[in-house]
Amino acid sequence: MRNLTGLLFAGGLGFMLLAIASGLDFGAPPMLVGGAIQAAAPQETGATNIVTSVVLGYRGIDTLGELSILFAAAASAGLVLGRRHTTAGTLTEGGFVLKHGGAMLFPLLLTIGFYIIFHGHLTPGGGFQGGVILAAAFFLPLLARPGARLHHGMLSVIEGFAGSSFILIGLAALSEGEAFLQPMLVQDALGQLVSAGTLPLLYLAVGLKVGAELAGLLSHLAQTESEV
Amino acid sequence: MMPDISLELILYTTALGLISIGLAGVVLSRHLFRMVLALGIAEAGANLMLVLAGYRWDAVAPILTTLGEHPPMVDPVPQAMVLTAIVIGVGIQALAVSILIRIRQRYGTLDRSQVVERMDAEIADTASIPRDVSQESPLGERPLPSIPDSTVEIRGGHS
Amino acid sequence: MSDLIVLPLVLPLFGAFLLPIVMRTSISIGAWIGPAILAYGCWILGDQWISGTTLPFSLAIGGFAPPMGINLYIDSLALLFAFAVQLLGLLFWPFKIDQETARRQALMLLLVAASTGLALSGDLFNLYVFYELVAVATFGLIAASGGSAAYASAIRYLILSGIGSVLTLLGIALIYSQTGTLNLAHLAQLAPEQLNNKLGLTAFLTILIGVGVKAELFPVNTWVPEVYATATSRVSAFLAGLVSKLALLIILRLLVLIFHQPEAIQVMLVLGILGVISGELAAWRAKDMRRMLAFSSIGQLGMIFIALAIPEQGGLLAVLALTFHHLLIKSGLFMLADGWGGAIEKLRGAAKRSPLAAAIFVLFSLSLIGMPPLPGFWAKFTLITQLAAQTSPLYLIGLTVFLLATVIEAAYLLRLAALLYGPAAKDTPIDTLAKPAGLSLATASLFGIGLLAAALFIAPVGDLLNHVAGQAANTDLYINTVLAGTGGSQ
Repeated sequence: MRNLTGLLFAGGLGFMLLAIASGLDFGAPPMLVGGAIQAAAPQETGATNIVTSVVLGYRGIDTLGELSILFAAAASAGLVLGRRHTTAGTLTEGGFVLKHGGAMLFPLLLTIGFYIIFHGHLTPGGGFQGGVILAAAFFLPLLARPGARLHHGMLSVIEGFAGSSFILIGLAALSEGEAFLQPMLVQDALGQLVSAGTLPLLYLAVGLKVGAELAGLLSHLAQTESEV
Repeated sequence: MMPDISLELILYTTALGLISIGLAGVVLSRHLFRMVLALGIAEAGANLMLVLAGYRWDAVAPILTTLGEHPPMVDPVPQAMVLTAIVIGVGIQALAVSILIRIRQRYGTLDRSQVVERMDAEIADTASIPRDVSQESPLGERPLPSIPDSTVEIRGGHS
Repeated sequence: MSDLIVLPLVLPLFGAFLLPIVMRTSISIGAWIGPAILAYGCWILGDQWISGTTLPFSLAIGGFAPPMGINLYIDSLALLFAFAVQLLGLLFWPFKIDQETARRQALMLLLVAASTGLALSGDLFNLYVFYELVAVATFGLIAASGGSAAYASAIRYLILSGIGSVLTLLGIALIYSQTGTLNLAHLAQLAPEQLNNKLGLTAFLTILIGVGVKAELFPVNTWVPEVYATATSRVSAFLAGLVSKLALLIILRLLVLIFHQPEAIQVMLVLGILGVISGELAAWRAKDMRRMLAFSSIGQLGMIFIALAIPEQGGLLAVLALTFHHLLIKSGLFMLADGWGGAIEKLRGAAKRSPLAAAIFVLFSLSLIGMPPLPGFWAKFTLITQLAAQTSPLYLIGLTVFLLATVIEAAYLLRLAALLYGPAAKDTPIDTLAKPAGLSLATASLFGIGLLAAALFIAPVGDLLNHVAGQAANTDLYINTVLAGTGGSQ
C-alpha cells in the first residue's frame, strides 16, 4: 500500500511538473542577468571564461559558501568516523601493475590538476575540476596500497590555509576601500595566462582546498572501511 | 493523434523523471544506503533542470575565443550554479556515507525499519520511559537481532 | 562603516577554516578564537543598530551591482536576526574541551556564519547555499553529540533535508527559467507579470516544502522529535530557537516580495493548522521533556505559519511577535532540558531540588500559554485580532484551532509545573532528583530576564516590532533600495 501511494505520488508529481515546465520557453531563456554579465564580464574581471567570472566574481560568495560546505562535510565526517588508525593493511595489496601504475600516474595527475587550475580563467575547468584531479592523484596510491596513509595533519594545514587565503584575498579588497571579494589588479591582457587579476589566485585557493578536502574525506572513508 | 515529440520534451522529461524516480526511490526503499543513492539521482535531475534553464539554441559555451565579435553564448549563470550544487551534493553524500558506516557498525543493519526501531528504543531508554509501539512493526514483541560483539565500541558513546 | 556588515558573515568562516590549525598548536589560544569572533560580530551589528545608519541599505558583494552580483539586504528585521544569531551562537557555544573540540567549534562557527547569511542575503541561490551550509553543519553537530541514536536521527534528518534541497533547487530552476534572474528585488519587480501564474505557484510550493523542512512545516517535520531528543540541549536550542525562524524568514521574504497568489497563502494556512493540531496533540501525549518541547515547537511554528497566511501588515506584526517570543522561550526551555531531559514522571518534586529552574519553567510556560502581562499574551492577542478580522472561513477554522491549541498547551505545561511543585515520590530523596546543569541554568535565566524585560517595556517593544514589520512589508522600499541607480538593468 505504501509502495503504491509512493509510486502514484512520485508519478503524479512528475507529470504535473512536466505539464507546467512544458509551458516554459525552451531554448530561448530570458537571459536578463546572464546577458548583462556576458556583456560586462570581460572588462570587469578580465577572464575569458565567463563561467569563471560568475563563479569567482559575480557569485563569489556562493563559492565561499560552497567551500564551507565541503569543509563542514569533511569536518563532520571526521567527527563521525573518529581518529582511530589501528588496524592497517587488512586488505590485500594491489599487484605489480597497479602499484607501479599508480606511482607513475601520480606526477602526471598532479601536473594536469595544476594545469587545469591555472587555466581556469581562460579555458573550461578551474579550481573545482583541478582540485578533484589533485585529490585523485593522492588517493590513487591509497587504492593500490591499502596500508599506506595520507598525512592528515598536512592535509588539514593545506585546507585551512587555502580556505583562509580565499577570505584574505576578499578582505584585502575590503581594506583597500572596495567591496568584499571585489576583483583587484585586473590587467588589460585578456586571454593571457597572467591576467584576470586575483581570480587565478582565488581559483588556486579553491583547487587546493577542494583537493585536500576530498583526499581527506576519501582516505577517511577508506580507512574506516578497512576496519569493518 | 500522434503527439510530436520535441527535443525539449525529452529533456524536460529526463530531468523531471530523474527527480520523480529519485523521490520515489527515497520513499520506497527499505535500505538506508539505497535511500542515499536515490537522493543522488533526484539531485542529478534538479541539476539537469538548472542547466536546461540556461540553454539556448545555436549558442556556444560562454568562453571568449576571439576578441571583438563573438557568437551567441549560453547563459553562464546556471552553469556556475550547477557547479555549486554538484559540489554541495558531493559533500552531503560523503557525509551520509560516513554516518551510514557508523550506523552499520553500531546496529549491525541498515534496514530502515530496524534502525528506526532501535533508535526509538534507545531514545526511550535514555529518557527512561516505556517505549511507544513502533508504527512500522507489527504489534507484539519482535526480538531485535543481536549486535555482534566485535562491532560494539564506545567512542562517543553517551552514558 | 556599513561595509563592515560583511564581517559577521565572513569572520566566522575564516575562524572555522583556521581553527583546526590553531588547535593543533595550542588549545588554550584556539578556545578563545570562536567566542572572540562572535563577540566582535555582536559588536559590529549592535553598533550598526545604535549608530543609526539609515536602514534599510543594500551592500553589493564584490562590487557588482545587483541584480548581476549578489547583495546583502540589511533592514531592521535582517539586522535583528543577524544580531540574534551571533548572540545565541555565543550563548550556546560548545565550551567542552576534548579531542574533538576543534571540529565541533569549527562546525558551530560555520553554523553561525551560514545563519547570518540566511538573515542578510538578498539572492535566492545564495540563500540556498547558506541553507545547505546550515544543514551540513547541523548534521555534524547532531551526529557528534551522542550515541548510536544520534547517528540514526542524523541520517534520517539528512535524507529528509536532501529531499527538501532537491525541491528547493527545482523551484529555483523554475523561477530562473521563467525570469532569468535570482535577485530577490529584481524578482519582486518582475513577479507581477511573470510569476503570477501556475508556474510561479508551483515554484513557491516546492520552495515552501523544501525550506519547510527546517521550519518544521507540517508534512516534513518528522525529524523534529528524533533530533531534539538525541542532540545536545545546546544544539537543539539553537535549531529550535533560531534556525527554524531563519527558514521562516526566507518564506516570509518570498511571500512579501514575490508570491502573492491566494492559493499559496491557503496552502500555507492549511499546513499551519495541521501543524498546530498534530504538534500540540503529540506534545500532550509525550512522556519525556525533550520530545514534549520538540512537539510543542512544531505546534508553535504552525501558529506562526497561520499568522504568515494573513496577507496584511498586521499579520506580519503577529508573525514577528510570535517568532521572537518563541525564540526566547524555546531556547530557554531547551536549556532547562539539559538535566531535566528525561521522563516527566521523574521530575516529581524537582522544584525543591532546584527552585530557580522551576520558577523559570513556570514563567516560560505562562508566557507560552499567553498569560497577561507576559509578552506571550500580546503576541497571541495580536494574532487573534488579526484572524478575527478576516472574512474567509478558513481563517475562522484557524482561529478555532489556535484557541483549542492554547488549551492543550496549558494542559500539558501546567501538568508538568504541578508535577515540579508536587511532593516527591516517597522512596526518592530530594538530593537524587535531576537538576539542570549550572551553566545551562544560567543561560536559561538570561532568557528569563529577557522575557521579563520585554514584559516591562512592552510598549516600546511593540512599537519597535511594528516599525520592523512596516519596513519588512514594504516591497517598493526593498526594490528601490537594492536596485537604486541601476534601473533594474533590463
